[in-house]
Amino acid sequence: MDKGIQGTINLRRNGEETVDLSGKVHLLPCCIKYNGPCDVSDYFKPKPTGMESEGLKTQEACFRGRKLLGASVPIPDGYSGFVLGKKSLDKRKASNISEGNSNFWEINAKYKNITYWNHDSLPSQDDAFLRSFHWLAVAKTMHEPVAAEDLVSASAALEKLN
Amino acid sequence: MGSDTTLPQWASEPCIMGIDEAGRGPVLGPMVYGCLYCARSYEKTLSSLNFADSKTLKEEKREELFANLKADESIGWAVDIIDPRELSAKMLKKNKINLNEISHDSAIGLVTKVLNMGVLLTEVYVDTVGDTEKYRTKLSERFPGVNFVVAKKADSLYPVVSGASIAAKVTRDRALREWVLDETAEDLHKNFGSGYPGDPDTKAWLQHHKHSVFGFPTLVRFSWGTCTPYFKDIAEVLWESMDDDGSSSSNGKRQLKLSSFGVTTSKRKIEEIESNGKGRCKFFLARKLEQVTHF
Repeated sequence: MDKGIQGTINLRRNGEETVDLSGKVHLLPCCIKYNGPCDVSDYFKPKPTGMESEGLKTQEACFRGRKLLGASVPIPDGYSGFVLGKKSLDKRKASNISEGNSNFWEINAKYKNITYWNHDSLPSQDDAFLRSFHWLAVAKTMHEPVAAEDLVSASAALEKLN
Repeated sequence: MGSDTTLPQWASEPCIMGIDEAGRGPVLGPMVYGCLYCARSYEKTLSSLNFADSKTLKEEKREELFANLKADESIGWAVDIIDPRELSAKMLKKNKINLNEISHDSAIGLVTKVLNMGVLLTEVYVDTVGDTEKYRTKLSERFPGVNFVVAKKADSLYPVVSGASIAAKVTRDRALREWVLDETAEDLHKNFGSGYPGDPDTKAWLQHHKHSVFGFPTLVRFSWGTCTPYFKDIAEVLWESMDDDGSSSSNGKRQLKLSSFGVTTSKRKIEEIESNGKGRCKFFLARKLEQVTHF
């Protein structure tokens, strides 16, 4: 299996206030092959539909002629959304650092909610994006210390199955 | 929009109706379907009102005739304005709806509206959209009590259709004239000409309003072939549902990877798509989660 590489994220900015992009982060159901600044708010005008779908307040917008239906969801408690950028090290410094730890990232902005959009279909709790948050609860449980009584009840349950 | 809803006396006599469209060809603005109806006994008088195919009339003449037909108590009319955003969205849906189908639905909507008002429609004249006979069958099956005449150039053959074409054309022209652009960027203007792809003003407007990320203002019908050459110079956008325009036929069904969204600076190609999921736990597959090892 691919071992991957290591990197470091610097969560602190030197004295500067981190830009808060809450309400401005959109996840579109397409890939836009463009990186760079863009006058988004002049062109992208989401409007509330006034309808709720599975507990989600829905919004509508269009992009490149497609109708998008979306919902704004908070980043779960205890988590934050970040816009990361790779920190460019000056060349002399970088050459001194071995390949393994030259992977430095810094925070360009943060956000507390994100609006995700579907092409044509109403937002639903079954959307993969919302379901991906399930991982947070699973990960938490997996990493919690196991108490003696948990082991007892788990083995009891296992015996019942057998 | 249409004549007021109090049903005139003559509406319980057998009535005829014409349906016609304006703004089917243009690359921008709404498409408008219009209908005009009157008692069959009024048909002769109608012929004397000089309604002609709206395309052959000058704008002032059309406006004048529209004013006349609105004032005429023996005539009823209605229009259905189909927003360019709706046209684009329908034609670019995952299950695409073509323009003929949208046109048929609009005409059917107008017939339904007039029948629901209580007008005794016996004969409806419609211009051909798509295959004449199939269209006639579709309409006849939908409205068994009404006789449909579907004909090419119906707008120049039948005065009721000419009248409908005037209502539609005047409504489209006004909608375009009074159009308020959604977009708030500076440097946008409204000299878009007729909207027909060959119109030099329209061409210049499209060129000027082209946007590298958003394509065009939403006044434009993105689904029109006219737009395609302009899209070649702007940022490419790949959709999950792009399956039949060839550009992404090989990987269209697969989800695009996060790295394609510009989040990582990985050396891997931006076109790279999500792994096929082999060996990945079902829990993660269903949530489109993947472990990132290079970033």
